[in-house]
Amino acid sequence: MEENFNQDLQKELRREAIKRNWQLFKQSKLGMIGLYIVIFFLFLALLQPFLFLTGIWNKGVYDPVVGYEPIKDTLLVVECPKEYPTEKYESYQDCPAKGEVNVKKLYMAPGVEVGDMYETFIQPAPPSRRHILGTDSLGRDIFSQIMEGSQVAFILGLLSATLGVGISTILGTIAAFFGGKIDAYLMRQSDLILMLPSLPLLFIISAFAELKVWHLAVVLGVLGGLGGSVITIKSQALQVKVKPFVDSARITGGSNMKILFSHVLPNVAPLALLFMVFSVTGAIASESVLSFLGLLNIDMSWGIMIYLSQTDGFIFSGMRYWWLILPAGLAVTFLAGGFYLVGRGLDDVFNPRLRKR
Amino acid sequence: MSKDVLVVKDLNMHYETLAGNVSAVKNVSFSVKEGESFGLVGESGCGKTSVAMSLLQLQADNAKISSGSISLDGIEMVGMSESELRKVRWDGISIVFQGAMNAWNPVVKVGEQIREAIREHYPNNTKNENTEKIESLFKMVDLDSSIMDRFPHELSGGMKQRAVIALALSCDPKVVIADEPTTALDVVIQDQILKEIKKVQELLGLSLIYISHDIAVIAEMTDQMAVMYAGSIVEIGPTDQVFSNPKHAYTRLLLESTPSVVGEKKKLRSLEGEPPSLIGEENGCSFSPRCPDPSDKCKSGNSEMGLIEVADGHFADKCCVECG
Amino acid sequence: MAEYIIRRTFQMTIVFFLFLIFSYLLFNAIPGNAFSNLLLNPNLPPDAYQRVLEIYGLDKPLLERTQMYIVNFFKGDFGYSYKYFPKTPIELISERLPRTLMLFSIVNIVAFYTGFFIGKVLAWRRGSKAETWITVTSVFSYTVFYPWFALMMLWVFGYKLGWLPIGKFLYPEKWYDAPFDSDVVFTSMIKFTVVISLIQFAAYLASRGIESLSLRRNIRFGSLITIFAGSYFYWNNGDALIQKPYASDIAFHMILPVMVVTVVAFAGTALLTRTTMMEVLKEDYILTARAKGISQKRIRDRHAARTALLPVVTSFIFTIVTIIDGSVLTEQIFSWPGMGQLLLQSVLEEDIPVAMATFSFVGVFALIAHLLADVSYSYLDPRIRIKSQG
Repeated sequence: MEENFNQDLQKELRREAIKRNWQLFKQSKLGMIGLYIVIFFLFLALLQPFLFLTGIWNKGVYDPVVGYEPIKDTLLVVECPKEYPTEKYESYQDCPAKGEVNVKKLYMAPGVEVGDMYETFIQPAPPSRRHILGTDSLGRDIFSQIMEGSQVAFILGLLSATLGVGISTILGTIAAFFGGKIDAYLMRQSDLILMLPSLPLLFIISAFAELKVWHLAVVLGVLGGLGGSVITIKSQALQVKVKPFVDSARITGGSNMKILFSHVLPNVAPLALLFMVFSVTGAIASESVLSFLGLLNIDMSWGIMIYLSQTDGFIFSGMRYWWLILPAGLAVTFLAGGFYLVGRGLDDVFNPRLRKR
Repeated sequence: MSKDVLVVKDLNMHYETLAGNVSAVKNVSFSVKEGESFGLVGESGCGKTSVAMSLLQLQADNAKISSGSISLDGIEMVGMSESELRKVRWDGISIVFQGAMNAWNPVVKVGEQIREAIREHYPNNTKNENTEKIESLFKMVDLDSSIMDRFPHELSGGMKQRAVIALALSCDPKVVIADEPTTALDVVIQDQILKEIKKVQELLGLSLIYISHDIAVIAEMTDQMAVMYAGSIVEIGPTDQVFSNPKHAYTRLLLESTPSVVGEKKKLRSLEGEPPSLIGEENGCSFSPRCPDPSDKCKSGNSEMGLIEVADGHFADKCCVECG
Repeated sequence: MAEYIIRRTFQMTIVFFLFLIFSYLLFNAIPGNAFSNLLLNPNLPPDAYQRVLEIYGLDKPLLERTQMYIVNFFKGDFGYSYKYFPKTPIELISERLPRTLMLFSIVNIVAFYTGFFIGKVLAWRRGSKAETWITVTSVFSYTVFYPWFALMMLWVFGYKLGWLPIGKFLYPEKWYDAPFDSDVVFTSMIKFTVVISLIQFAAYLASRGIESLSLRRNIRFGSLITIFAGSYFYWNNGDALIQKPYASDIAFHMILPVMVVTVVAFAGTALLTRTTMMEVLKEDYILTARAKGISQKRIRDRHAARTALLPVVTSFIFTIVTIIDGSVLTEQIFSWPGMGQLLLQSVLEEDIPVAMATFSFVGVFALIAHLLADVSYSYLDPRIRIKSQG
């Protein structure tokens, strides 16, 4: 009876605390913006399977990897001048202009002359009603790729962050709590991890086995969890360890394990949560960098989209093929930024010293 | 008859908060003469520190002085620009803060922090002149001059507080505010520090504003005193008069709640209730809810606040004098 | 203090030893080796591959090789590069290192100062509209997908506007008849930068004891003018005059990478400074300083920023640790042939001696920087200094 009451009370208190923290979080404007951004991408990630399942999107057309739809367009055949600038074109980049095609490119199609209208399938195709962000150089829908990319980002970011923070919280608390040899060993271990240059290390690991999203998430999580964050969590746990309530728990006969799990860990948890949010940012960036350098065996991700737009040379075509360049880059930036802002909002909640008034 | 150094007239200050305006200082008037020490007493949250901060105009960003005047040597300070204020601070009015522990920047040497203040107000001094000045200040508060090259955390609490006093005197201020300077110290050190302040004040002929919640300390330290309640002064006058003949019910209660070492043993009275919320405007006597035997007029809220003279130079709040 | 450093050095040596073994095993665990592609060449005699392995000692068992490598390493023998055969890893590193150091020391200094300054202003103007906008910009540049951003900047400044060169660290056509290597120029540029910063630092230290604030300011200003005059004189006389056009060519190629990396790197410092500054501004001694009549700017710079500097400096030193690591991506994008590219290539081509040498270089760098972080922390925070002494 009393136990029940206690549990109910605890539940009630916890609910109260969450409510209060939520109120505090809501006061942070940037934190809320971050939360909206994250929710937006989460929505995108969930929308794609929904569209496929309900048949609104045809897999053959909209699949981010193997989908294909030829987009018909009629182009004016022109001859690009040998010297620039001319009246029409300022430099060689401007020819052929939009809606035009260079006659030299059409040597495969005999009988086409300058001034003709030439009907062709264009890839990459600019945004249209069917493909709101256009298609890439293989005729695949960019919007669908962005959605696929956000699925990858969420899986990878959340998985590796949870794993990493889980490892570092446990190790950090153990190091702080037991001290001595265990502490020394764990600290030297994270020194060792910190010494290894991260990108080349990931190259080496990707040489062992072709990395898939799951593998990468585990690798990033473990590396992150063993590295510097152990040191930070440990210093936090050290502060908790000397708090009076830990002593009183010991005096009343709590075992080491019980104190560790019911007193120290819960008090390290806010910092760990903060760490987790920030390391999502890091994980998303790492995935994108690795994909960008062509080292991942993933079908589609934002990094791969940028990688493709670069290897196909579209990056230097500037804003003419903006739908190949901007969406993926902005998506990485915004989702990482969104998580970062959420982290800052949480920081305001957990760090009362920074609160306004 | 020495002249008034600091004259505060009808000072009103409020904090703008999400819950509404909090009037922390209401129609406060008092004056401090040259070489005189003036005590300000009241319980926590009654606006003592707000008065001190208003005098230096160091109030928090959300605090506004809405009306009134503060004049130092005949110069009006309310409405001064930041750069004019900077000249007055420390040179005209300096302050000994509540917690000496936190008054020092932990990463700068003590001497350097005092030097910095002198440098700001006497830019033409040479390094040696400043060093001599600090040495003489340290001597005055019984500190060794080697402390100059120490970091704050290397000093004990008492030493830190002495050094804070030296710091407050470093620019030869006309008025020194001591805002509960002994709060965080143990009793023996408290006594030493009080003596130190008293000695220095008499030595230099300073005007001192001593702020405390401890009415016994006020009795020991001051010539004139004012009792604050809920942002207003409820009784003001020469210290011995206020003590011997308290007119306001609150003052009486304060006196009765303090044990006396000499004299007959009597039961201490405790003050029931809490200070009123300062949010918004209220009518009538702010003390009436806690008054032990308020009159009908007082309870009805028809009485008005305002000081009336009850004896020569001794004023008390009208409503309570009339009612109580 | 000395005892502390000695103890730390001892621990560092052990960690480094483990690091060496771990990395060596790691490299050898990669499937295939640097010469695997010889097997694909049908024109080679069948035993050629085996002979090459014998020459390089790769046919020996792994344990024996590891042992040999570690012993030789501590004798100072790092072997020869597999790919650039007659060259030793040391030669390669000493060729590449100045290029990376030049680029990234400038980036880091610029980024640190801008970041610290912006962070200071952000905390000081809390709640203003400017603060919100600068914060949003900082967060954007902190989280922007760096390679993407770099490529966009390359496109804008190098391609569209054509103001700055795209990639490479020099125009080869300018260097055809240069009387010296680019490394010579790099080295003298680094020397020049170091001397300048030392002079500036010395002027700062010397003027610290001066009592009059205006005199202090004048002296610091004077030292700046002297440095400018001195550098003008230096680059227009003697050897430096001949190097000047080449040095300026390199400097011209540095503008874009410095700019891009700074934009990305400053934000971390700025956001951290903002947070720590805001904590410090709540302290009582800031109120004391205001009561003392000290100017706002001086309170900000001397009292608040000085204390807020501690965590910022630590994190900055950790950034320095990652210079070479971080240079991998930047050098790849800007085709800057420095340490990062060497590191990447040697890993990808399994050029183990070079990869091991660069790895251990990065490792030693990291260990020393960590030690430096702790020591400088105790210098900046007197409270810690006492602890380590007693």
